[in-house]
Amino acid sequence: MSARVRASLWVLLAAAFAGLLAFGTLRESGPLSQQDRIDSISRRLACPTCSGESIYVSRAAAAESIYAEIARQVSDGQRNDDEIIAYIESRFGGQVLLVPRATGIDAVVWALPVAVFVASLAVLGMAFARWRRREQSGPSNADRQLVSDALTNEAGKES
Amino acid sequence: MRRRVAPIVASFVGVVMVAFLWVLVSAEPNAPDDAFSPLVGQPAPAVVTTTLDDAPFDLARRKGSWVVLNFFNSTCVPCINEHDELLAFAAAQQDEENPAEMYTVVNDDSDEAVTEFFAANGGEWPKLRDPDGAVAVAFGVARVPETWLIDPNGVVRLRIAGELTPSLLDEQLASLRTAFGI
Amino acid sequence: MIGAIGRALLLVGVVGSLFGAIAAFSAARAKQINNPNESVARLVPRFAWLAFGAAVLAFVTMEWAMVTRDFSLAYVQKVGSTATPTLYNLAAVWSALEGSILLWVLVLAGYVVGVYHWLRRKRDDELGLWAMGVMFVVSLFFFLISFGPANPFAAGAPGVTDGPGPNPLLQNHILVMFHPPMLYLGYVGFTVPFAFAIAALITGRVGEGWLLATRRWTLVSWGFLTFGIVLGGWWSYEVLGWSGVWAWDPVENASLLPWLTGTAYIHSVLVQERRGMLRVWNLSLLVATFSLTILGTFLTRSGVLNSVHAFSESDIGPWLLTFFAVIVVVSIGLIGWRGDRLHAPGSIDSPISREGAFLANNVLLSVFAFVVLLGTVFPLVVEALQSRTIVVGEPFFDRMSIPIGIAILTIMAIAPVLPWRKASGELLSQRLLWPAIFGMVALLVSVLVGATGLAPLLTFALGGFAAGSALRQIALASRRQGWRGFVGRANGGMIVHLGVILMSVALAASNSYTHSQELDLVQGRPASFSGHTFELVDVVEETTDRSVSVKALVSIDGGQAYAPAITRFTKIGMNVGTPSVRTGLAKDIYLTLEPPVRQDSGEARIKVFIKPMILWLWVGGFMMAFGTLLALFPGRRRRRATDPVSADVPLDSNLEETAGR
Repeated sequence: MSARVRASLWVLLAAAFAGLLAFGTLRESGPLSQQDRIDSISRRLACPTCSGESIYVSRAAAAESIYAEIARQVSDGQRNDDEIIAYIESRFGGQVLLVPRATGIDAVVWALPVAVFVASLAVLGMAFARWRRREQSGPSNADRQLVSDALTNEAGKES
Repeated sequence: MRRRVAPIVASFVGVVMVAFLWVLVSAEPNAPDDAFSPLVGQPAPAVVTTTLDDAPFDLARRKGSWVVLNFFNSTCVPCINEHDELLAFAAAQQDEENPAEMYTVVNDDSDEAVTEFFAANGGEWPKLRDPDGAVAVAFGVARVPETWLIDPNGVVRLRIAGELTPSLLDEQLASLRTAFGI
Repeated sequence: MIGAIGRALLLVGVVGSLFGAIAAFSAARAKQINNPNESVARLVPRFAWLAFGAAVLAFVTMEWAMVTRDFSLAYVQKVGSTATPTLYNLAAVWSALEGSILLWVLVLAGYVVGVYHWLRRKRDDELGLWAMGVMFVVSLFFFLISFGPANPFAAGAPGVTDGPGPNPLLQNHILVMFHPPMLYLGYVGFTVPFAFAIAALITGRVGEGWLLATRRWTLVSWGFLTFGIVLGGWWSYEVLGWSGVWAWDPVENASLLPWLTGTAYIHSVLVQERRGMLRVWNLSLLVATFSLTILGTFLTRSGVLNSVHAFSESDIGPWLLTFFAVIVVVSIGLIGWRGDRLHAPGSIDSPISREGAFLANNVLLSVFAFVVLLGTVFPLVVEALQSRTIVVGEPFFDRMSIPIGIAILTIMAIAPVLPWRKASGELLSQRLLWPAIFGMVALLVSVLVGATGLAPLLTFALGGFAAGSALRQIALASRRQGWRGFVGRANGGMIVHLGVILMSVALAASNSYTHSQELDLVQGRPASFSGHTFELVDVVEETTDRSVSVKALVSIDGGQAYAPAITRFTKIGMNVGTPSVRTGLAKDIYLTLEPPVRQDSGEARIKVFIKPMILWLWVGGFMMAFGTLLALFPGRRRRRATDPVSADVPLDSNLEETAGR
């Protein structure tokens, strides 16, 4: 396959990829059933008597009660997801929020991974730049001396 | 300069480790259980249910008296321990001119087990059913025992989380009565 | 009586490990100063066998006590029961802290003997002796905590004739027999390469010899750990009843952390072998992997994660934390001390090269490990600093792991075709064409089937791309070498990659497209959901001597009946829900029974989960295990490294000799 055909094939692939991805992402995934809403809300709340399990996962009594409350409120249809979560939080306190807030010290848990990732990219970038600079500078004077000494020795031995 | 990278990075990692270990080791003893609830000072949530004797119960219709709601489970050890306190409190209330009303809210337990417990240990006040935990959720009760005091106007005045200590409930109710004059 | 025997055996193990360490270190030191001491070196295997024998006998003693229901021991009182069947009683030994430390001791002692046996031909090699010493030290630590704070042979309260048995969730499924031992074979196995890394640092021989030598040990441990984690997911799915496979809970995270750094290590090691680079990375990853196994055990066993204030109440916490601190300090100290020897003479020429890809892989997996560790310990930090409880759960981990996972899939797609040193755009466009087409087909199929959402679609597309790269490698290799194209490091690795891709795709599909519904079923009236009908055939009750089960027999699409159940374990008074699953190629139909349910009412409330592609999770898991096995076979014979930088760095004394010439 010639380079030109290949290049155009790649362009085609890229376009198809972008197009399909856009289509799939923007497409409606169908209406959310009540059960889907209950499941998604219960995944955002923590069981108050467990060690970090969500309401969705936990089978503890307190979790089952909160799940039943969520089901009740979803079928009432009065509140949206965030409001239901706010209601549960108003009763049980911040300990039931499974997603740490983005304020105060809690924001650290979101910011730190991003900071670490950016820092590691920066360090990698600097390392690559330094390596390339070293490549371009060529052998050092000490290295040249070493080589010429070795050559002189070899020449001395031969003669 | 390159010679020094390893020790520098090593010390940096060491410092982070030391900080991490310090956090784990220097944990202070737990502060006493914070009994704060956003419901204190607010109108009590609606409680509409039935008693174990199948009589209807509506918290709103109990206005005019102080109401004590005790969340209970027959297998929870602190609940069993504090039962004598509740009995003493209920008996003392009979001598008051405006006695507080005592109710037990059954938390994740069967009717039979609760009835058996009270038959064996005493306590004539009504026990309220809470089959899917709606009342517990409304009050934000995750663990039992918890005791709530609601004033005659239907406003929540006190939350006690955990086992009742001797005379705690009497004293608290007395000071609340004085504070609010009712 | 039996408690005394067990305890005495543990003491024998302590003594054996202690003297084994002393013997190994003295013999190693003697070698180092060129005054070898054969008689001391000969003691090393004797102590290894002594410790191993003690561990085996202690473990057998514990099993004997459990199977004969000997309630004189406190541990048997805690987890044994007359009502538990023998099979589950055997597994009950590792269902709580003391017994699981005993299992760790057994596996570790076994590894010590195994390593010595493997080393014996190179017995006079100083590095091997240092490594044995380190292994003895770790073994000593675990024997000590098993003898001391986590004593399984402590006498129990007198007059007890029965116990509650292990948690009912651990009596439900045969997997409980395999999952913890498999995990431990992996966890504990990482002690071996760690010991060699420390030995290499101590002797200064930080070249590649020790790496190549321990390759199989590392791969075997990694394989066991991988399989153990997959089994854990399977158990969670089949037993716990919430229909998921991974909940990001602290115990699961503790097993994932060393797996992440271990995976980075087994890839990054190839760069060191080939070009002598990334030495500090490899040593750090290995140290991190081993110390994370200790930290993970600390986090899950000390009670710290239930409340940071439970830490000081548990006996074993301070020991594990101290050991962790010692390991980290010693390792970092050694790496810092030997820093000058660890510098690679070469450098990475271009980021678009195999070295560059492995370096990017290291960074991504390390960031992933950092994120998981951060999420797991962050509640601790906040509680220690501000005395309030917060929870970091699924949403945090999902949101962080999805971009990282997609980046890793991208690297998996490109890296197999990358040459060493430098790649041109031309070469890439040639080699990646068919894999890219494969990825495009995968994306097209997903869109046609109805998938939506950016993250899952990207996963499917990149998964297809990566699968194309892996298949291309395998096809090329088998064309060149016949059946040998399927074994060996590179090709077995490609099969493992295929397994990983299958698992990622299956996870993306099941996490994004699971639907559920609660159905109130009445006998005789079928209900429908998501294109299937569900009919309640009957509600039956089964009583055994330890439990009462209520089962709802539900016929799916008029076919076979599936029986989700609620079981009440009469002794403990605990209710356990058991799901029932119809497995299919494209999706699983997962049923649970919701309380309350009465036997004669003719009604039952069930919850139906439609879970796409779960079967492919297990297929992927098995492929990973199978690929690891294939990778263990010797493949194409590698040329010995002619690049002098890859040879062992000689000791100082030798250097003087050659320089003086």
